[in-house]
Amino acid sequence: MNLVFINGSPRTTKSNTGKLMDRFLRGFQETAGNTFDQEYLFKHRKYFGQLVEKFAAAENVIIGFPLYVDAMPGSVKEFIEALEPLTGRKNLPALGFVVQCGFPETAHLRFVARYCEKLARRLGCQPLGSILKGGCEGLDVQPDFLKAKYFSSFYAIGAHFGKTGNFDETLLKKLAHPEHLKAENMLQLIPFINQGLWDAQMEKNNVLDKSFDRPLLP
Amino acid sequence: MKILILNGNPSEKGKEIDGYIERLAGGIKNAGHTVQVFTLRDMKITPCLGCFDCWVKTPGLCSIKDDAVEIAKTFITADHVIFCSPLLMGFVSSVLKNAMDRKLPLIHPHLEEIEGEVHHKKRYDKYPLLSFLLEKEEGTDEEDLSIVTDIFRRESINLRSALGFVHVTDTPVKEMLNELGIH
Repeated sequence: MNLVFINGSPRTTKSNTGKLMDRFLRGFQETAGNTFDQEYLFKHRKYFGQLVEKFAAAENVIIGFPLYVDAMPGSVKEFIEALEPLTGRKNLPALGFVVQCGFPETAHLRFVARYCEKLARRLGCQPLGSILKGGCEGLDVQPDFLKAKYFSSFYAIGAHFGKTGNFDETLLKKLAHPEHLKAENMLQLIPFINQGLWDAQMEKNNVLDKSFDRPLLP
Repeated sequence: MKILILNGNPSEKGKEIDGYIERLAGGIKNAGHTVQVFTLRDMKITPCLGCFDCWVKTPGLCSIKDDAVEIAKTFITADHVIFCSPLLMGFVSSVLKNAMDRKLPLIHPHLEEIEGEVHHKKRYDKYPLLSFLLEKEEGTDEEDLSIVTDIFRRESINLRSALGFVHVTDTPVKEMLNELGIH
């Protein structure tokens, strides 16, 4: 089986999307004969022609991106617009998505996932569905046990996809947990993220006292 | 009332939304309100790079110095913002989406609970009401409109605002003015 993974993160090689999909791709390669190509969408922004051709010729495509203002980043939308001429063409690839966000709950991603599913149908691609995961900002500073959990889930989803050509619903559901947070977990998690992730970076940059600045007011 | 209209039509040819916006802006002005129209295709708006400098290095300020700064300034002092775009592949144009992504400096990285979900804290006291004007494309159906409306509602929560209306250009301009509270 052949797969083209289009990494739509504007952070390109330094993206959380890429770190997670790296495990998926390792799992995917478990099945002998499977091959993949990874493309960084942001690097094609000046001219999408080559990437569109690659999309059209692929057997399977997964487009990955971080959630930006509740949807795809504008640069990913640029590529989606470049795909329009392919609409309805025969032998288009099966199309799936991977979307992650910093919000700890996966529920934030369900809305854009509906768009992704409809987009696959609009193009005439067999929809593979979406791999969704909240809580992915600052992967590097997250506790190792959490990262290990995310990574093993992505590996398992990739391995299953490599064998069957489908995303396994049970594995997707396991990965998506927590869909929502319980009140007590929220109380614990919010200060952990606010101080541990954000204030720590502001402190390092000597701007913690400017945290709530409003520089755009007239 | 101060109204900001962001025209996200990527091309001046072949769409009716530009003419619609002109009539809408004229109606707002005639009623004695302030309206500013930004035609995004004529402006330089680089995509958000996800660097988070606007949260952790220069709080409230984007690292990219282009026309999105002027838009953000006008946005935060407006009472109502109308995002306008033809639907392209079932969503607003990339031109508009890039401008929306650059609103990140307007909110704060800290999270707080809002109605059982985690969202970002406000940076400013007041945010404008957000509305959308769309032009249908070939094949636009109820499902498309429901998908984008639900995403717009989510965006309004995360930009610490509320969703005003979502209309297509089939709606008479007069009706739009009524909904804006302009008679």
